[in-house]
Amino acid sequence: MTTSIDVAMPAAATPGVVIDKQERRYVRLRNFIAFAVYAFILVPTLIVIPISFGGNGELTFPPRVWSLELYEQLFSSSSWVGPILQSIKVAGCTMVVSILIGVPASYGLVRFDFPGKRLVMLLLMSPILVPVIVISLGLYLYLSRLHLVGTTAGLVASHVAYVTPFMMMTVMAGVKKLDPALEFATTIMGANRRTVFFKVILPQLRPSIFAGALFAFLVSFDEVVIAWFLTSPTTTTLPVKMYSSIQWDISPVIAAVSALLTVLSLVFCCISVFLQPAAAESSN
Amino acid sequence: MKSRIDGLLYVGPATVFLFFVLFVPLAYVVYTSFWIGSGPSLSAYQRLLGSDLFLRTLWSTFQISITASVASLLLGYPIAMHLAKQTPRKRAIYMVLVLVPFWTSILVKSYAFTILLGRNGLVNQLLSAAFHTRVQLPLLFNRFGVMVGMTNYLIPFIVFPVLASLLSIDQSLYRASEIMGAKPPRIFFRITLPLSLPGVAAATLSTTVMSMGFFVIPALLGGRKDAMMSNLVDFYTRETMDWNMASAIGVILLGVVTLAAMGADQFQRREAKKGVMA
Repeated sequence: MTTSIDVAMPAAATPGVVIDKQERRYVRLRNFIAFAVYAFILVPTLIVIPISFGGNGELTFPPRVWSLELYEQLFSSSSWVGPILQSIKVAGCTMVVSILIGVPASYGLVRFDFPGKRLVMLLLMSPILVPVIVISLGLYLYLSRLHLVGTTAGLVASHVAYVTPFMMMTVMAGVKKLDPALEFATTIMGANRRTVFFKVILPQLRPSIFAGALFAFLVSFDEVVIAWFLTSPTTTTLPVKMYSSIQWDISPVIAAVSALLTVLSLVFCCISVFLQPAAAESSN
Repeated sequence: MKSRIDGLLYVGPATVFLFFVLFVPLAYVVYTSFWIGSGPSLSAYQRLLGSDLFLRTLWSTFQISITASVASLLLGYPIAMHLAKQTPRKRAIYMVLVLVPFWTSILVKSYAFTILLGRNGLVNQLLSAAFHTRVQLPLLFNRFGVMVGMTNYLIPFIVFPVLASLLSIDQSLYRASEIMGAKPPRIFFRITLPLSLPGVAAATLSTTVMSMGFFVIPALLGGRKDAMMSNLVDFYTRETMDWNMASAIGVILLGVVTLAAMGADQFQRREAKKGVMA
């Protein structure tokens, strides 16, 4: 018995070793390509951080002198601080309005059937499909008729229309995970529909509403094209300011702005990663 | 009956809002493209079809969109495969490497590329140092710059759907083929690739549709010849104030994108039906 195993072992092991070697080479190649592509998509995002600490006028990597000069310039120049504050204001208002209209709509679309549901769905989701330039042109023509081009209100309304479907996708995914039996039970116990919505639905949806709100804020905060068409010099948002600055003068201050935006997206990314398990747990 | 009214109640505010702030403006674009002065006219479309600038831009829009999508598929697929092979815990960590660029503003990336790819940019500096000569490759303000920027932007949009379809492949297929002695390349071409094709097709179609409307990247990283349809709309709206022409281009762009999306939808439905029958 023992001898037969001893004889069989090397015979069985040899082909295994050959496959292993090939397999290892294959895995190494696959990982190498994957990491090269990870680097390709991450480098432009991350490189602005070290560059932003370099001195003025010299965009080198790694910076020869480390300084906060660009950040001082950024925060002392009203031509940059103004757009930053404007963007925060626009994104904040957009987020609030889009939650107010988007959360009930997400619930209604998932839970109920009503005449024209497909059309409503198409309308609400169309900003994802329609090229943003066509939306911008339409809003520009339409709002200039209403004398709202260049106003913050006009921009907020436009951003709400643009951002709502992105937010609704998050919230609708949350509603789909809810147990309808809970709503049914509360209704049987005599709760009216307002109580059901505010006391049963909303508390359960909190994680997905929070994630959707972050999404809405960030999409509006980063949005360039609509804002490019609809803002005037006094209502310029940060992305529009960056866009024209990259196009015309490539001011080194953009490095500091970009670094701040990258940090912002890092924070958002971490929050959304943390929220996902929370959203999954709340559904169980 | 009651639930019908309920549904409308919840959906109502958003529907009314988007009707007035989205549908009416879009309808207004269509109207502006057909209406000149006092009556309907197709003259904007006739002018467009006779315009070299428009036809060239239409052609380069298709070219850039399709090439960039294929390039991001080739680069994104290895990432999706790498993610699919990880344990769920590790996958969540690696996923952050894709999510961070996904969340980053397109302006930050465009700005980074103007620094990286410029004549004295970091890439040329690195090449100069490597070859001990002064290298000044023209990497920016041309088709290459646009392709690099767009591919970089599109890769996450490829990774997510392809990863989903890779994860839905039955793991026992891999084990079975390994036991039968199939080598990695064979497993890839006979199992992984064919079974991920629906996800691949959906991802590539959606990135193609998406890139047809690109605005920022061709404007900031491309040259004059790399303008896309969006940039032409911007040009006619702001430079020449020809709203009639701008709207006609917008309608054509909308038509092309709608057709492509309908094609993608049809394709996916057929795939779904195939899946049900099998």
